[in-house]
Parts: sequence; structure tokens; C-alpha cells
Amino acid sequence: MDNGVASLVGLVRISKSYGGVRACREVDLTVRAGEVHALLGENGAGKSTLMRVLSGDLTDYTGTITVGDRPVRFHGPADAQRAGIAMIHQELDLVPGLSVAENIFLGREPRTRLRTLDRRAMLRETRTLLRRTGIDLDPRRQVGELRTGEQQLVSIAKALSLDAKVLIMDEPTSALSSAEVDRMFTVIAELRRAGAGIVYISHRMDEIGRIADRATVLRNGCVVAEFDARDMTADQAAEAMIGRPVRAMFTTHETADTGEQLLEVRDLVVPRSRPGRRDPAGISLTVRRGEIVGLAGLLGSGRTELLETLFGAGGRRRGSVIFKGRPVRPRGPRSAIRLGMVYMPEDRRISGLALDHSVLANTVLSVVDRIARLGVVSRRREAGAATRIVRDLSVKLASVRDPVSALSGGNQQKVVLGRMLLTEPDLLLLDEPTRGVDVGAKAEIYHLLGQAAQRGMGVLLASSELAELVGVCDRVIVLRGGRDVAELRTEQAGEADLLAASMGEVVPL
Amino acid sequence: MTTDFVAETRRASVRSMVFRFQSLFGLVAVFVAAIVFSPSRDGELLFLTSDNLFNVVRAVSEIGIIAVGMTFVILIGGIDLSVGAMLGLAAVGSAVLLVENDFGLVPAVLVVLAVGLGFGLLQGVASAVFGIQAFIVTLAGLQIARGLARIWSGGQGVAIAYGEGPGEAPIAFSLLGERTFNGLVPIPALIFVVVAVLAVLFLRGTAFSRHVYAIGGNEKAARLSGVPVTRVKIVVFGICGLLAALAGIIHAGQLNQGSPNDGLGYELDAIAAVVVGGTSLAGGRGSVVGTVAGALLLGVLNNILALNSVDTNVQLLIKGLVIVVAAGLQRLRPS
Amino acid sequence: MRFLVAVLVLGSVVACGTTSENRSAGPATGAACKGAGGKYVIGMSQANVAEPYRQRMDDDIRAAAKAVPQFEVRFTDAQQDNSRQVADVENFLTQQVDLLIISPNEAKPLTGVVKKAFDKGVPVIVLDRKVEGDAYTTWIGADNVEIGRQAGKYVAEQLLPNGGKVAEIRGLAGSTPARERGDGFRESIRGRRIEIVVSQDGDWLREKGQEKADAILKSTPDIQVIYAHNDPMAEGAYLAARAAGRQDALKFIGIDGLPIPSGGLKAVEAGRLSATLIYPTAGREAIESARRILLDCQQVPKTQTLQTQLITKDNAAQVYAKENPGG
Repeated sequence: MDNGVASLVGLVRISKSYGGVRACREVDLTVRAGEVHALLGENGAGKSTLMRVLSGDLTDYTGTITVGDRPVRFHGPADAQRAGIAMIHQELDLVPGLSVAENIFLGREPRTRLRTLDRRAMLRETRTLLRRTGIDLDPRRQVGELRTGEQQLVSIAKALSLDAKVLIMDEPTSALSSAEVDRMFTVIAELRRAGAGIVYISHRMDEIGRIADRATVLRNGCVVAEFDARDMTADQAAEAMIGRPVRAMFTTHETADTGEQLLEVRDLVVPRSRPGRRDPAGISLTVRRGEIVGLAGLLGSGRTELLETLFGAGGRRRGSVIFKGRPVRPRGPRSAIRLGMVYMPEDRRISGLALDHSVLANTVLSVVDRIARLGVVSRRREAGAATRIVRDLSVKLASVRDPVSALSGGNQQKVVLGRMLLTEPDLLLLDEPTRGVDVGAKAEIYHLLGQAAQRGMGVLLASSELAELVGVCDRVIVLRGGRDVAELRTEQAGEADLLAASMGEVVPL
Repeated sequence: MTTDFVAETRRASVRSMVFRFQSLFGLVAVFVAAIVFSPSRDGELLFLTSDNLFNVVRAVSEIGIIAVGMTFVILIGGIDLSVGAMLGLAAVGSAVLLVENDFGLVPAVLVVLAVGLGFGLLQGVASAVFGIQAFIVTLAGLQIARGLARIWSGGQGVAIAYGEGPGEAPIAFSLLGERTFNGLVPIPALIFVVVAVLAVLFLRGTAFSRHVYAIGGNEKAARLSGVPVTRVKIVVFGICGLLAALAGIIHAGQLNQGSPNDGLGYELDAIAAVVVGGTSLAGGRGSVVGTVAGALLLGVLNNILALNSVDTNVQLLIKGLVIVVAAGLQRLRPS
Repeated sequence: MRFLVAVLVLGSVVACGTTSENRSAGPATGAACKGAGGKYVIGMSQANVAEPYRQRMDDDIRAAAKAVPQFEVRFTDAQQDNSRQVADVENFLTQQVDLLIISPNEAKPLTGVVKKAFDKGVPVIVLDRKVEGDAYTTWIGADNVEIGRQAGKYVAEQLLPNGGKVAEIRGLAGSTPARERGDGFRESIRGRRIEIVVSQDGDWLREKGQEKADAILKSTPDIQVIYAHNDPMAEGAYLAARAAGRQDALKFIGIDGLPIPSGGLKAVEAGRLSATLIYPTAGREAIESARRILLDCQQVPKTQTLQTQLITKDNAAQVYAKENPGG
């Protein structure tokens, strides 16, 4: 419309309420051909709702959607797809039991002339799509066997196969390694050249600076700022998102080289590793009290498996683990918690929380049998414990009896953290604690980790966000192929050093 | 701040109350409907006669007791299809032990309860330790329990005669069938009430119950939070088996016979009571109060349909509709 | 764990209760009689209408009651569940029916509730299967031993006058009719050079009859007659023989002779079965007794044994027509 570039899709005064809560208020947004339009905002700002409206997933909104200047009304995702709008969801909508090819062509499988399934065409086209996406995968593999990052790339390939004019990507890189992110950005650049418009939702400022042309910031369901993404600074964006100046993202804590040794792992190996896992193949590391140690490495380097193994939730191991001065071998999470370790799993929806249970129930779960006397739980003491920790961590909620699903991602993650801290642990094992968490909550979580370290706990933090590792940790241990290949002190090393160490040369399996 | 918090908490509870006790409201509704539609004689509503009301409770007591156990299993996201067969096995066991083996009352009851408990625990082990789906484990358990019941009984009903002599069961056992407490309340109904009250208290206030709900809500998260998942699951199946055996003992006492075909299809009636009671088959959500209300609701419904001589086949249709409606209501609840 | 203990304790509380017998004497049936001017509600508690025989029993009662304007009959179906049948009878008592007809699922479990009804002064007519004791007004049914005897006699005299080999497909193991139909049959073939070479349980079911006959035809191919304890199993055996191409070489006898399209009468008429023996449903007789008790204020005999009838190709069509007037 303006400056001569064709508008592919326009949202005009879109509003949408859930019950009494207004998720979007009179939002205007245009997506032009050949641009990457970043959509920013804290969790709960209305980004996902807006995109679900645009992709036909939510149909009871007010306002107008225009496609090529013609007003349209979608009655479901299929309508939107026909109009050339496709969305890659944050929650992957792939069928785990089907193959990569079957997933990509689900519901619109190519047919032979005899109307039977044309397997060969399906595999051929899938290979082409995967090549464009930049992953090397057998299209016949079951999606359920793939790692999260690979699944994410498959759903991107699926979206590509739709030949969409407008592609909505909701945190597409949250489970990707840096190399995979690079390849995906190449794909995006290619799409942009071909004249597609892309709506890109992400919490990662560095990514937005790299690929976005324009940025729109939402707060409380309203558009609060628009930027030319190329001149936008991370601080500007963050300030617009949270509505006030950001305090320092990474609160530093006193580096504690002098703390007593808490954990010493030597030559940790899981001999009978199951397929699809990158179990420890020889890892040694130490964590002192008061220290935050990072675990870096590409997807599939074995970060998650290492944490699981330490926590007793992985396979049978060899090698020694000395914890608080004594060799330990937890038989499972329960005994690990008794020893003083706690674990925050990678995906809070799948393995962290019972989403439709109350905040209270989720928070006290690890200590409920300690609270109980002769097996009977005092409701008062239970609620007291939950309320105290929820306040300590400043979780934003109406009532501890509300379901966890009513909270934003960052607050959900704090509930998991609260559950861990209630056990009064010595060692925190954290896997991607800030994935899918907005800027403000991220800073708060870093702050809480710093506090925990200050109080003498040790923290082992696995992350694929290099800035996070450099900003938060005292030391970072780099894993590759299930082994520790480097250890960097963050006083001296930066993100580039971490990345280089993570990539390294290819280690044979 | 504190008062705000408490007030908010209370408001939230009020909001979810309607749905939490959906089946209680349903029970009240069906009860009122039963009064409205009750046939009357000599100006007296037949439905409301104390005889009839106690008949209703007595008639649901076996299914109700089983359904209480089933609630535990369904709360952890499982299912137990073996309870009807277990009832048959326990009924046969009671009859054989009392009549043919001349066991005393207490030893016979304890042995049968132990059989139910042991059977349930074994199913729990198969499901929790070996990771076989509960549906399959208990489907197999159903066959095994029926088979055991046939073998133990010699393939036919074992009649229970009462008396002091050999081959006769202690007269006290006939209490279950004929006697009432206080001249009014049937003993099976009384047992059902006691079991229900114990289960309600148990599920409200124990650490074990928190673990049960957590496993149903998200088993993986529960395991990683230090819940002894395997142990809890085994015990839950044990409780379910134990209660099915208790229902079987009552069954034998009420009918003066233990037959290997007893309890055919009871598992489905019990599941229906649990579902009508608002417990989610996906696990993690529900209550024993709901189940008890669900069982009574179905019992009152059965009774009022029968009192109005509604055709048995039509009764099946109506009951089916009630189950679907109850399940449908669950979808409306706020999550 | 405390819960388990509690349940165990509960179990023993039940077990330790005391008892006091409270048996009242049976009433006179005359109390229910209000004469021909009254209106009467009769409750009919059926064990399981999924069995064609019992469905026919209900139909016969319905048809017969139509002729008595004072009667309104209400039917229940316990779906083969003793507990449900107990509840059905209790509901009839709550409804204050004037007379109870019951076709019990099993004797022992229903004895108590039948006695309860009888003690309350409700006349009780028991059909087919008996209950224990004498707390009922009248029992109407057929004599299964006699039916078995007649079947044996027919085989001995008509089918195998010179002796031969018979296979038996029995009813549900442990059920009284299965035992009686088997015993009667053996009684009348004794000393006639007829031998039952194989005997299998068919659980009263057509498909089981077929399955067992399949096996029998393979293991003992030299049998000449298959005696099944009911018509559906006999029909199943016929199907098995036809599959083996031996349907004409063998003779089949069943029992029940239901006058319905899928029943034994039609099977005999069509020549699939050589003979069947009528097992009367007693439906019509039950209404007749109810009329005598309620309308005529008369006593009825405590036991009414109905006669069976041998059905062969000669009389099958004629009996069917008589049992289904106008259709």
C-alpha cells in the first residue's frame, strides 16, 4: 500500500477476548512481500493469539483481515492455507508415529494415476524440501525418533511445501543449534527473495537484528512500538516490551572460586546407550558451591543426557560421581533429590509440570511427603510452603489454586524452580531454563540463579543460548559427541569462542 | 496482601466448585426428577419410601465399592478391567472357603481380601515395572481371574448354606444378605458408606494421594519431581483389587452363592460411575465424592426407570445418554 | 498403608457381626384376591431375554394376559445377572405388585428375595428354574429328566433300532437342565446296544455346538446320531456336518422346539433336525394360574409339571401353526 511495496496480508483493528480477558486490542499489522516482519512482546502480550487469528485457528475475533486488499474471513486453518498463509507452531503439530515424508504430506498425499499413494513422489519431494531446509534426514524415519531440533526443521519443511505467500514462524529456533539456525536463516533469505512475507516471532534479539526488516512490539494486546529492525537496539526493543527500562540482564554474583567442591564427575560413561540418545561417553567436570557452571554444545552433544544421568534418570553409568565428598549413585530422581540434587527438565510442558493442576500442587510435589505427618498432609502447611516460595520467586499469579496453565511461560518455569528450591537442594541441574521465556522473566530467572549460588548452591546449567552461558556462568564446559572437549572461563572467553569449541571438528560416532 | 491472596484463592475455588462437584449437582437433579416422576400409592411417593431408598443404596453398594477402587486407578491414568472377574473370584472364594473348606468367617474374609490385594499388586507390578499398558494387563487379568474362579468353583455356582455344622457357613455371614443395621440400613450399604468415607478422607489429605494425582497429571514430571511412581502405581492397583474382592465377599453374602460368572461386566458399570462422577479418563483429575455421587446417580436412575416400568431396552438407551452427557459436561469445565 | 489396614479392619467388623433369625411363616395366598372386579398389576421378572426361549416366555405371557382385561403385566430383564434380578424383584415390591412371576436366573441367589415377596403376602409364580425352599405359591415347568427320557426313547426306537453310536453335545456344565437332560437320555437307552461315544459341553450356544461337532466329526467319524441338549446346538452340529458333507448320513435331535421362525419346529419342518422335544415356556399356564389366584380366589397346586411333546416332520408344521394362531 504505502511506499510501493505490495501488502500481502493486512490485519485491521483485530480484537480477541478469552472470557473476560482481552488478548488483542485493535491491532493493526501489515505483512509485505519480501519482508521479514518480527513480532515482539513478552509471553502473554498477544503475539500467539494474533497469529492464530491470522492463520485461521481462531475464528471468533472482531476486525478485518485483508488478503491482497480484499477482506476475507477464515473459518479454519484450511481456509487460511488456501489463501496462502501457513503457520509453524511453537508446539509442533507433527504425528510422532508417522514418517517425515508422511508428516509433510499429511492430508494431501500425492496420488498416482490409479489414485493410490504415490510413495516415490512423496519421498522425492520430501528430499528436495529437506535439502532446501538444510537438514540431512532420511524421509522414511519416524518423526518420534527425531530430536526436537530436527522435528522443528521438519515442520519448517512442511510449511515450505505449502508454497505459502505468508509464513508465520513462532519461535522456530528455540530448539535449534547455532549451525541449524544459520541454515534456517538461509532458507528465510531465499523465501524473502522469492517474494514471500514472513512473520517471525522470537525472544532472541540477536536473531531479529540479523534477519528482520521491520519489528512490531506488542504489550498487553496492543501495538506499542514499531521499529525499523535494522536500526533497533536490543535495549529499545526490551524497553518497549516490558514498558520500562531494563535493568542489567545478567546480574553478576560473586564469583566463588574458593567454594568447597560440591560435585566431581570423572570419566562418566553410559555404556549401553539407547539409539537416539547421546549418552555420556567420557565426561569429567567439577562444580563448586556458589558456582554456576555452563554446559554448552550443539544439539545432540549430550547435554541433556549428562544431566539426566547425574540425576539418576538416564541409563546405567560407569565412572565416578562424587557429591558432597562422597561417591553417589542415585537409583532414580527420588534418591537424587534425597541426596540434594534437583533437576529442571528441558521441556516444562512435557516433563516439568502437570499443566491443569494447581500451582500449589505442582509447587509442593517434591516435598509433600516431608510436609506430611504420618502420611497426612496439613493443608495449611502445604499452602504456606507454596505461598512462601511463590512470593520468594515473585511468581505472578492470582491464586495458588489456579492451574499452572494460566501462567505465562516464565512464571511456569518459576514454579518448577520453586518446586526444586523447596527441597533445599545443594545442586541445581538445569536444562534450558529460559527457553520460551520472555525477556523480563529471563532476567528474573538469572537473578534467582545468582541468588541460589550466593547462598552456596552449585548450579550446572545447560543452554543453547551462548549469550546466556557467557552472561550467567563462571565457567562453561563444552560438550561434543558425549565428551567434554573444552572448558572456558567466561571472564576471558566470549560467545565466538564457545561456538568454535562446540563446532570443532566432526567427532566420529 | 495476605488477605487478598486468601480472598482470591477462595474466589477461584468457588468458580471451580460447580465443576468439581458436577456429579453431586447431577445427583440432586436426578433425585428431584425421581421424586417428580415417582409413582405413588395411597398418596405416598414410592420412590421416597425408606425401603426403596435403602434398596437403591444396597443395589449400588457393590458397584460403588468397585468404583471407588477404580477411581484410584483412573486417577493415575490407568484402567482396571479385571474388577468384575475379581468380584467373581472373590465370591467363589468366599463360598468355597466357608462351605467346602470350613474356614471361619474372619479367616475366610482375610484370605479372600488377601487374594484380591495380591492379584491387584501383581497387576500393578506388570503395569508399573514391566511397562505393559494397564488396559492390556487387566484385560489379561480379567481372563485369569475368571479362569481361577472357574477352577476354584469347579465350574459352577457354589451355594452357601448356613449353620453350625460342616459344609455350612457361619450364620454371621448371612448378615450381608438379609440383615440390616438398626433394622433399616442394609449392611452392604453401610460398608459402602464406610469405604467411601475412608477413601474420601484418604484422597484429600495424604501425601500418597498427592502422588496419585501428580502421576495422572504428568507422570514424567512426577517421576522427575521425586514421586515414587512405580510404588504408588503398584499400591493403587492393589487397592483396586482389594476393594473388588471386598465387593465379591458382599456379593456372595447377598446372593448366598459364589458363582464364577458373578460380576460379569461390572467393570464397565464401575467405569461409568467414575466417569459420570467427573473423573477424567486421562487421569489426574477427579474425586471419590464424585464417583460415589456418580454411582448413586446411576442407581437412582435405574430405580426410577424400573419403578415406572420403563422397558429394559429403553433404560439402556437412557443410561447411555446420561453417560455421554456427563462426559460432555466435563469438556466445558475451565482448564 | 493405613487405608489398607482400615479396610481389613472393616472386613473383620462385618465378619464379627451378630445375627438373629427372623423367619415369618408363609402367608395364605387368598389375601391378594380381590375377585374379578379388581385391577391387578403383575410383575414378571425375566432372567435374560437374550435367550430366545425366555423371550418367547415373555411373549406368551404378554399374549395370554391380553385376554384378561383386569391384568397389567410389567416386565423386567435381569440380563443374566443375579444381583440385577434381586433389584428387579425389590422394585416390584416397592411398586406393590399384586402378583409376582419370576423366571429365576439361578436358584440359590434368588431364593431370598422370592421369600421376601412371598412373606409380604405377594403370590409368587416361579417358572422354569426352581428356587430353594417352599416360600412360593406355585412352580410351573417341565421335567427335564422326562424330556431326556423321551429323546432317548426316540433314538432307541426310531433312529437306531438296531443299536449304534451317539454323540452328545451338552448344555452349560454344571447347570441343572444339562444334567437332567443327559441323565434321562441315558436312562432310556440303557440296554439297547446304543453307546454314547463322545460327550462335549456346548454351553447352550449354536456356535459352540458347531465347534464341538466339528471336532467330534473328526475324532469319531463313525457316529450316527448327534443328540444336543437344545435346538441351537443341534443346528450348529448340523452346520458342521454340512461343511463336512455328511449332513444326510447323520441324524440330529434337539430340545426346546420353540415356535418361532428361528426355532426348532421350523428346523424339524425343514428336515435339518430329525426331531425335537418341546420344552414349554409355561407363559400361558402362568397367566392361567394368576387368574385362578387373583380373580377366582382359588388355590393352585404347588407344583405344575408340563408335558413335553415329540416333534417330527409329521407334526412340526401343525404344532407351529397352533402355537402361532393368526400368524
